[in-house]
This record gives sequence, structure tokens and C-alpha cells, in this order.
Amino acid sequence: MIKGLTIRRKQSRTDQSLPILLLLPALIVLLVVQFFPAFYTIWLSLQERFPTGWQFVGLDNYRLLVNTSLFKESIGHTIVFLVGYIVLTLSLGFVLASILNTRLRLSGFYLALLFIPWTLADILVGMVFRLLVYPDYGILSGILGNPALFPPKGLSVLTAARPAPLFGSFPFPPAPAMVYLILASSWRALPFITLLLLASLQTISQEIIESARIDGANTWGIARHITIPLIFPTLVVALFNLILTGVNSVGMVFSLTAGGPGTATFVMSYLLYNLGWERLRFGQAAALAVMMALVNWALIGGTMRVTRVDERTA
Amino acid sequence: MNAHGKSGLMWLAVSLMIVLALVLSACAPAATPAPSQPTQAPAQPTPAPEAKVFATWYQFDQENTDPASDEAVGNAWLRENMAKFNEAFAGKYKWVNTPKAWDKMDAELIAAVQAGGEVPDIIQITDFKIPMHAKNGSLQDLRAWAEAQPWYAGMDPQALKTCTGPDGGLYCIPFAEIPYVVFVWADLFPNDYPKTIDQFLTEAERLKGEGRYIMTYFGSTDKGGSGATRGVWTVISSFGGTYDDGKGNMLLNTPENIAAIEFLRTLTVKGYVPEVTFAGGFQEEEAFKDSSAASIPTALFGYRYLRPLTAPDGTKYETMTEQDMLKAIEDGKVVLRPFAAPEGKKPSGGLSARGVGIPKGAKNREAAEAFINWVLTHSDIAADYALRGESGLPVLFAAYDQPQFQGKLHQQAKAVVQASALRSWRGSLERTAEAQMIIMNAVYKLVKEDVTADIPTVLKQAEDEYNAGK
Repeated sequence: MIKGLTIRRKQSRTDQSLPILLLLPALIVLLVVQFFPAFYTIWLSLQERFPTGWQFVGLDNYRLLVNTSLFKESIGHTIVFLVGYIVLTLSLGFVLASILNTRLRLSGFYLALLFIPWTLADILVGMVFRLLVYPDYGILSGILGNPALFPPKGLSVLTAARPAPLFGSFPFPPAPAMVYLILASSWRALPFITLLLLASLQTISQEIIESARIDGANTWGIARHITIPLIFPTLVVALFNLILTGVNSVGMVFSLTAGGPGTATFVMSYLLYNLGWERLRFGQAAALAVMMALVNWALIGGTMRVTRVDERTA
Repeated sequence: MNAHGKSGLMWLAVSLMIVLALVLSACAPAATPAPSQPTQAPAQPTPAPEAKVFATWYQFDQENTDPASDEAVGNAWLRENMAKFNEAFAGKYKWVNTPKAWDKMDAELIAAVQAGGEVPDIIQITDFKIPMHAKNGSLQDLRAWAEAQPWYAGMDPQALKTCTGPDGGLYCIPFAEIPYVVFVWADLFPNDYPKTIDQFLTEAERLKGEGRYIMTYFGSTDKGGSGATRGVWTVISSFGGTYDDGKGNMLLNTPENIAAIEFLRTLTVKGYVPEVTFAGGFQEEEAFKDSSAASIPTALFGYRYLRPLTAPDGTKYETMTEQDMLKAIEDGKVVLRPFAAPEGKKPSGGLSARGVGIPKGAKNREAAEAFINWVLTHSDIAADYALRGESGLPVLFAAYDQPQFQGKLHQQAKAVVQASALRSWRGSLERTAEAQMIIMNAVYKLVKEDVTADIPTVLKQAEDEYNAGK
């Protein structure tokens, strides 16, 4: 009897520890590749480098960073970029996915073509887009520089000054370079978003659409009351993807505008690169990285709350 | 628990431990193979000891033999000198170079030193990066060792000074001095390149009437604001301006600087410089290459990159190598000149030293010292280093008169140096990377973005921002 109880107790302990043991490899990997860099970044944000080594400086890096003009400017630029990038990519992606969902002839071929931008590195896309509009020497510079099309002196995308802001110092309307950056970034992100939405659209039964049409619903009504609600969880996933890439990606800015002209496209991710790898202010760069992580969490959390996607998908 | 479950759990635990041990062993440094047990006395002669690796980081790639490559001259120099060095130190050292991007190398080194990663024994260094390295503790102080070497007394003291950190340590050994000069299409200036600002503006108007620009320069904020160290510094320093107060603070709001900015602003507003001046990515060079712009202030090493060339009379230099510029200079199509300066002022521009440093944590300092001695005790090698390795003028006096420096390019460069008061832009500033960016953002705003902005206000804001940081 006692022997039986002991065995049962041992078995129960094993049952409890087995899941932990099974999870251990994954936990170790997570600790090494995710938690360690995250905690190291937080630690680094509280340090400053001196010839003798690292020294704890409290919140100095945050204070110094917040007091720079470029930090404040980069917040405005990030908002403008993010809104433009998300709105343009999501709406174009939805339109393209809807067109491809109508069983066009050669739709497979169009899909293959559409996928090309996604296969290119963003840094390469930025370089190509930059070459197109170099003043005087770019392929498109002749067209853009035509005063008849862009009065009074034509448009030089990479060097044109930003228009006077409408709302205090908030950078709106954006500089032509920012608009161009949004276009280039959307061009690259479009295939993925389109495919994501197309896959979701293909799950909607045609019978529902047909029934709605018989009941007299027009295209806009169908989109608004049937299609969008049914693909809403996918739209939110697409939105998360765009928020994260929009806030964090630096390759396109690096190769297309390098933050310019002046500081007109200095978004937070580029400021982070600049602080870390151009100014070698690793402490301040880490402080900005922590802030950006908080921004990402806030945006994702806010989006989940507003869309209540967790409840809808539950 | 039954026996089957128990043994399964044991196997799982053992497997995990093996995986963990493998992971840990992969992270550990490679073990030195244990010496084999002596058996019998070896019959063969003892093999020569293996040469120790001498590791370097240069912006050049010894494997790249493409003559049209941007760094073709440096690549060839490195390739040939690696062979020479390996021959001179056969059996002792073997030079292994890792090519690095010129604008990322310093950051990589600092990160590597701080993380305890692999560092080279020698790294190519530009003088204005010295304060940054000194702050980050990434380079060794070579003063005591250098002062004891026979070549030390024969070096240009000015160049040695630029290698000195804020704490007085000598953090690099300079091999070349790079003067900033103006490359000029000679045919476009029948009365020679203007010497005063008034003459410059008169010539600018004349050239505009002919459908050309008087000048192009690096006017964008690209490359971390390095434009502040190039053409912009040439103009500001020629006006007698400065970026610092001599005590480590930024000083921009001075009458000389304001006059220089007004001059640059005039060039923009009146259309005397092409739009591509402000595009970044070194695209401003295109306007000089096709002679739509009559001059370009840049470093002497610019001759390597300004190619292909089309002279104002249509003559083409299209080998796509540095020979294009050398031939254009030989033909008298391109000449080197100092920049214009206001009446009573001496023209100026940048002067930087380039050489090598020994990183902290370098495994083979002995080889690094041998390398430096090898270069500086052979005037021909030192001359070749300055000529092809850095495309500058030698810092070692003995190398100055080597035949390589008697060509038109270097004779004209020496004349520019003598006619100008060239100086380093960094002065007493320590956070040079931050400084150049803040300066260039302010200059760009005033010269291009908002030509009505109040110059003293913007300059004051910029210097305040730098001085508030630490």
C-alpha cells in the first residue's frame, strides 16, 4: 500500500515536471535570442561608455535623447510615414486582392508578377527608387522636373524642401521625399498584404455574396457589410505587420533618402541607426530602442483593443 | 510510474543534457589539441614554425582585381604590399586582411572591442575618428612606443598632433596627409580660378550665362553629415570661420561663419550650383564629371573617384580608372587650385591625417609594430603607402621627395598646400560624429531648405544643442 502511494507520488511529480522539461530547449533558445538582448538593451540604455568602460548614468541617456531636436522631429515623421504607409498599402492591397479574387484570366501570372517586389531586399528597392529620381541624372528627373507638370519650377524629389507645416511644427504636409518614401515602402509591402487578404477573401463563400446581390446589395454595400467584417481578423494581422515594419524598418530610409533632404525623412528607426552606428552613442541608441519597443506594444495593444480582434477570433 | 515511463523520462533528460553540452561546447573557444605522446625521436628535420597571423582591417579588398572598382588603386596597393610584407617576414608573420566598409569600420571595431570580439592587429584610421576611439577605449596609446622609434623624429609633427586624443595619447600612426583642394576645369576659367569671393561671384554669373555652374559640392546631409567636413568646411575655413572655440565647445555663430553661409546661400539662390549638389550619395560629382559644373572642392583622393570625365571641349577620359583624372591633369584640362577667399584672407580647407591604429585586444601587437616600422623605415614603401594606400602626401619627410610625388597632380597639390592655410575641421571638438551631423543639418537648412531663415539663430541653436550634450 505504502509502496503504491510512493510510486503514485513520484509519478505525479514526473507528470508535473515533464512539460517543463519538454519546454526547456525552446525556453533556452528564447532566453538566449530574445530575453538576453532585450534585457541587455535595457541595461545599455542606463549606461554610458567612458575610456575606462561602461558607467551607470541612470536616465541620462533618455533625458539627452528627448532634448534633441531630431528626436522630436523624428516622432512627427514616423507618424506621417506610418499613417501614409498603412493607409496606402492596406487600401491598395484590398483593391488588388478583390480584383484578383474575381477569377481573372491569367490571375496566377499576375500573382507571380505581384510577388516580385516582396522578394527584393528593401535596401535594394530603396537604391533603385533613388536612382530613378536623382536630380538632373535620374530616369524620371526629366519628367518630374518639367515645370508644366509641376509648376513653377518642376519637382526634384530628393532635394525639394518640405512645405510649410499646417499644424505648428508637425511635419504635415510632408516633403515630396517622404511621399516618395511611402510610395516605395508600400510598393514593396503590397504583395504580401495583397496575398494575405486574397487568401482570406477566398474563404468567403460565393453563395453569401450572391445572396446579398439578389437582395439588392451593391458592390460597396457587399464590401462594407459582408467582405470586410468576414476578413477583419486578417486585416488586423496585416495591420500588425504594417505597424511593426513601418516603425522598425530602416533599410529603405537608409538607401532611399538617408533621412534627407535635410531631416525631412528622419524617422525613429533611422535615428536609431544614426545614433548607434554613425554617432556610436550606444547608450542613447538603446534608450531609443526601449522607447520604440514601448511604442510598438502600445500600437499593437491599442489596435487589439479598438478592433477587439481577440474576442472576434475567439 | 511504470518502468517504461521512467526510462523514457531518463532518456529525455540525458538527451537534453547532451544537447546542452553540445551547445556549450560550441560556444567555448576551440581547444588546443593535446600534445601527442612522444614515441620515438623524429627522424625528419623539425618543420619551420608556422607564421603568426597579422590581421588587418582596410577599406580595400586585395582579392578585387577589377580596375574599374572604386577602390582599384587601394586594392592593388594592398595586394602588392601584402605580398612584399609576407616575403619580408616569411615564416614569422602572415598578413591577413579583412575588407571593411570605410564608413562602418570604426563602429565595427568599437562594438567588437566592447563585446570582447575578434579585433584586428591594425585598423586603417582617419584622424577625426580619434576622439571617438579615445572615448570608447578601443585603440591602444602608442606614444611611448612611437617616441622610441627611429622614424619618429622624421615625421610631420602636425600629422602626429592630429593622431593625438583628448587625453594626450597617440592613438594612430599617420602615414599620409590628405589636403582638401579644388579640382577645376581649366578651360572654363580663361583668367585662372578666382582668388577672391567677388571674383568668384562674377565668374559664377558668367558661367551661368554659358549654361554651366561654377561649382558642385557635397551639400546634402547624407553620410552622417560628412558634408560639413568637405566642401562646406573649405568655404567656411576660407572665410576664416571655425566650428569650435578651442575649448571643446561648438562655436558656429561667428561673423565669419555667417558670411560663409550667406555666400553658400547666394550660390543656391542664384542657381550657381546644380540641384544635384544636395542629392547625396556622392551624386554631386556627376556635375563635375560631365563638366556642367566647373569645379569641385574635395579631398586630394577625389582623383580616384572622379571618373569618367568629359572636358568642356568634349574630350573624353573613359578608362574608368584613376588614370582618367591623371590624364586630364597631365593634359592641362583639370588643374588643382585653392578655394577663393575674401580680400585679405588666406584660402583654406580641410587637412586630415590617415594612418593606422592598434586596437585594444589585438592578438599580435608585435606584428603590428613590425608592420609600422617596415613602412616607416623604408621611404619607398612609405611613399607608396601615402600615394596609393591613402592618395595623399607623405607624412614622413624622407618620402616627400620620392619620384612618385613629382607628377603634376602632386606638384599642384603641394602648391595648394603652400598657398592655403589648411586645417582640420574638428579643432577641439570631441564628439566629432555628432558634431558633423548637427553642423550639416544647420547648414543645409540655411543654404537649401529655408533660405530666409535667420542665420545667427539657426547657428546658435545648433551649437547649443551640441554643447548641451555630453
